[in-house]
Parts: sequence; structure tokens; C-alpha cells
Amino acid sequence: MQHTRVTGTTFVGDANPKSTAKPRGQPLLPMLVPFSIACFAGTLVTDLVYWWTAAVMWERFSIWLITAGLIIAGLAAIAGLIDLAVGKRIRTLAWPHAVGYPLAVVLSLINAFVHSRDAYTAVVPTGLMLSALVVLVLLLTGWVGSTLVYRYRMGAAI
Amino acid sequence: MMRAFKLAHSPKWSRPAVLLAAVSLLALTGCDDNGGDPMKQIGANPVLPKLQQYFIPPIRIARAVGWGKDETPTVPQGLQVQALAAGFEHPRSLYVLPNGDVLVVESNGPPAPISRPKDIITGWVQWFAGAKAKGGNRITLLRDTNGDGIPEVRTVLLDHLNSPFGVALVGHDLYVANTDAIVRYPYQDGQTKITDPGTKLTDLPGGPIDHHWTKSMVASPDGSKLYVGVGSNSNITENGIGAEYERAAVWEVDRASGAHRIFASGLRNPTGLAFEPETSTLWAVVNERDEIGPDLVPDYLTSVKDGGFYGWPYSYYGQHIDPRVEPQRPDLVAKAIVPDYALSSHVAPLGVAMYNGTELPPNYRGGAFVSEHGSWDRTPLNGYKVVFVPFSGGKPSDLAQDVVTGFLDANDHARGRPVGLAIDRTGGLLIADDVGDTVWRVSSARSGSPPKPAS
Repeated sequence: MQHTRVTGTTFVGDANPKSTAKPRGQPLLPMLVPFSIACFAGTLVTDLVYWWTAAVMWERFSIWLITAGLIIAGLAAIAGLIDLAVGKRIRTLAWPHAVGYPLAVVLSLINAFVHSRDAYTAVVPTGLMLSALVVLVLLLTGWVGSTLVYRYRMGAAI
Repeated sequence: MMRAFKLAHSPKWSRPAVLLAAVSLLALTGCDDNGGDPMKQIGANPVLPKLQQYFIPPIRIARAVGWGKDETPTVPQGLQVQALAAGFEHPRSLYVLPNGDVLVVESNGPPAPISRPKDIITGWVQWFAGAKAKGGNRITLLRDTNGDGIPEVRTVLLDHLNSPFGVALVGHDLYVANTDAIVRYPYQDGQTKITDPGTKLTDLPGGPIDHHWTKSMVASPDGSKLYVGVGSNSNITENGIGAEYERAAVWEVDRASGAHRIFASGLRNPTGLAFEPETSTLWAVVNERDEIGPDLVPDYLTSVKDGGFYGWPYSYYGQHIDPRVEPQRPDLVAKAIVPDYALSSHVAPLGVAMYNGTELPPNYRGGAFVSEHGSWDRTPLNGYKVVFVPFSGGKPSDLAQDVVTGFLDANDHARGRPVGLAIDRTGGLLIADDVGDTVWRVSSARSGSPPKPAS
């Protein structure tokens, strides 16, 4: 296997998890996760613009971005479960990734409900705070996770 | 940026975001979903609890099951109820012509656009409650030739309409308020079918959103004006304030020119209009906003004052601010009128009829019948009945009484839901039932069994 770095994914040595849910040998889980993260990060941007403008279009961007992020996260979870169920040489992910990303998804699910309220309070203040919290969790996950993976060679990134 | 600066320095934002988020989530999940006693919210001074905002808004709908054989609504002693006719396609409103012919407007709203994921869920909920049934988009005429209360003639007076609701006859001009326009048709006494394509009097706010699609309508006593109830385009401006242009208002339309002005505004969804006969003032039943609690905001019956502003969207019951609306308008809130008579929360009043007949017992004379279509976001269910509000001196004078009940069965399934009301020529109360697809007639109880409808 020649994977070195695929959309933010790094496998270290031979002792890495082998994803069994993979088309043409490519692991599916690491391919999906960054798209959902991009959606959640985008939500913070559109929330901020809504806060500044109160133009309803931006609130709609936010709820659709969260929804898309959650759907992709759901697909990633299915890919991950297939790995767990079928895989033989599963190694744990670096713990920040295994904890941080699911936490961000759960917070985003709550955020989807808050964003489904009508008008201004769908975003300000609870929705906006949740969107910021999700991005914070993801940034911390990325930072702590890559420190472990790249510096100490512990586990794998998502 | 000025705004962001201001908000960023408000006390709300000075605490750690994490802590605040945790606290708000706790508060959200700790909400009490059960509504209080509706009787506390009937009359001039309803008890208004504190506003809540939900994590998951409560949904409590009555599944539509329809009427079993020989099942009818229930009326108090001294009255009787029978089906005038059945087998309609979503009958929503009723109108009685001078010769006694009854017009049944069979209608439903245009398809709702999907702007947010929530709209998909809302669509499922409405389907479950029987609110997605296809409307006939037509007006059926019923004629009782021998006066036994059972129509022998049933014809389609007008077909291929566009979500019609309000009807008004002035002289030989029959006006139909479609969801997007008022159309005038020539009508001759006794006519059972109109073939004339009609003439548009004026456009009304319609699509593409058309959230509250019904356009209630009544002619002024002198026949010179038409008053039209135009509902808001959202629950609480979630489609943007621009979508609310000339909505949430009662229009006054000049019958000769078609010109209109806003007679009164801030009325979220004025679904029924009627002139109080003693004082000749315009009254409306209005559906208030959702998703801030099982006991907020009470729907109401109110006189409609020329130039009056009744709060929506900025506030309710006078100066109770709704935080979901941004930017706020303190100038408008300051002059918001408190409605006259609360009917309790989420009952969804869709029809009002002032009673001036002689068929029903004398205690009903001078008062208002109000049909309550029934709640969908409140536990326990509220509404699903026709009530009577006594009037004295042109104003409500006492607590509302239940008149027609039994629309819910023992399992809280909806056998029917009352919508439009009308008083027929002999003084009977007619009720359109858009789940039971029936028109009911309430009259004084007489000895002997009531006549059976011709089916």
C-alpha cells in the first residue's frame, strides 16, 4: 500500500488500521470525514453573516450545511462500522480523533435542532455558539491529534 | 459591523461560551411540554406564561380517521346535528345565498416549497393530520327545495379555482377570493352553474411561499367594500420580513375599482371575518404564533379597528415582545392593540359566524359561533369543536361555551375538524368539516327522528 497522505489521512508504518469499506482499495472513512468538517466550519461562517445581516438566506445556508455535514458524518459512521465489523487488523485511532470528531457530530446534531427554530433565535445566540463550539472542538481535535500522530507516531488520523 | 460590536459587548456574550451553551441546553431539555387549563386563557384577560424556546418543538397531532357509519358530532340538549351533505373534497368554507342555496368551497393550499429541512418534517406531520388531502378547487351548490333541511340539488357552481376560500355576493356580483386574486362572476338568482370565466378584481398576495393561503372575505354592510383577511407568509418571519409585504393584515378592497388599502395590520392569520350586527363593526378570528409554548400565544376573536396594529410579528397581546424577530420595531410595539377576546392557545379558529337567526334557542341570538380546527403542537389537544361566545352591546359578555364537540374520538383521533361556519336561511348553523369531508347542520331539537340525508 502506497498511501502516504490522502486528503489529510496518514498511515504510519505497517501497523495501521485497514479499512475494509473501500472501493478499489481506497478507504472510505477518511475520504468522507473532511467533507463533513468543511460543512460544519462553513456553518460558522454563514451563522456569523446571519448575525451581522439578519438576512434569512444565510440562516438557510447554515441549516443546510449542518444537514449535509450530518448526512456525510452518518455515511462515514457506516463506513467505520463496516471496518469494525469486518476488519481484522483494526488499530485504534489516535484518541483525540476518536473522541473529538464524534463529539463535534453530536453537537452539530443538537445545532441542527436549534437551527430549525423559526427566525432570529434559530441562530442568535445558541445556534451561533454551538457552531463556534463545534469548530473549536474540531480545531483542538486536529491540533492534539496531529501532535500525537505526527510527533509521537501514536495511532492514526481519521 | 456596528451591530456585531454592540452585541459582542452585551452581557450575554461576556460569559464563557462553553458554559452558556451547556446551560442553554439544560434549559432546553428541561422545558415542560404540557399545556395548562385552556379556561384560563378564555376572555379578555388571558393568563400568559413565560415564553419558552424549544430544542425539539412539541408536536401532538390527532390522527385523521374520519366518521364511522351513523357517527355525528355531539351537541347539547335542545339542539340536534345532522349531516347536510357528505363526500366533499376538503370543504373549507361555506356561504349562504339569498335564496337559501348553500355554497361549499372545497379547497386546500398550494404545495408548500421546501426551504429548510424542517419543511420536509412539517409536510409529514400535516399529511398525518389529514391536512394534505387534495382540495376540490371548486364551489359546490346545495339546494333544499322542500325545506326539510336536506338538499335535493347538488351541482358544481364553479370549478378549476385556485385555492379559493372567501365568498361574497353583492347584488348580482359573486366574488370569490382565490389564494392569489379576487375574481368577480355574474350571478343570477337561482343559478346553479356559472360558465362565465370571471373578471379579476384585484391580485392578492399568493405564491411562491403562500404559507397561510386562505383569504377570508366579507362585504361591508353597504356593499361598497370587501374586507379580506390575508395571513402571514410564515410562523414568525422565518421567510424574511420582505415576504410579509401587505400580509398579516385585513385589506379593504374597493368593489368598484379594485383598489385596496391596509385596513388593519399585525393580525397573523385572520381566517374568519364577520360584521357584528348590532354595531356594524368588523370582527375577526385570528391564529396566533407557534413554537414558544403550549400556552402561547392564545388565538383570539377581536374587533378590527381601522388603522389598528395588533402586534404580529414584533409582539403579542399588546407589548409582549417576540425575541425571534430581528430587527425589532419598538415604534410599532408601542401602539400594538390588545385583542378583545382570547380563545386559548393553538385552538386554530378558522371560522366565525355572528348569530342573528331564530332557529336556535334565544340565548344564541346576538353572539358569535367560532369553529376551532384544533391544535397540532400542544399537549393535551385543544380546540376540535365549535364554541359560542355570548355578546352583549356589541362586545363579548361571557365565557365561551362548547356547542359542537365530538370531533375527537375516545383515542384522541380526529373524526373531523371544523372549519368554515355559516348560518343558513332558516337560522341553522352550518359547519364545514375538512377531515370528515362533510357539512354538518345544527338546529333546534324537534320531536321525531331527524331526516336522513340523501346520499
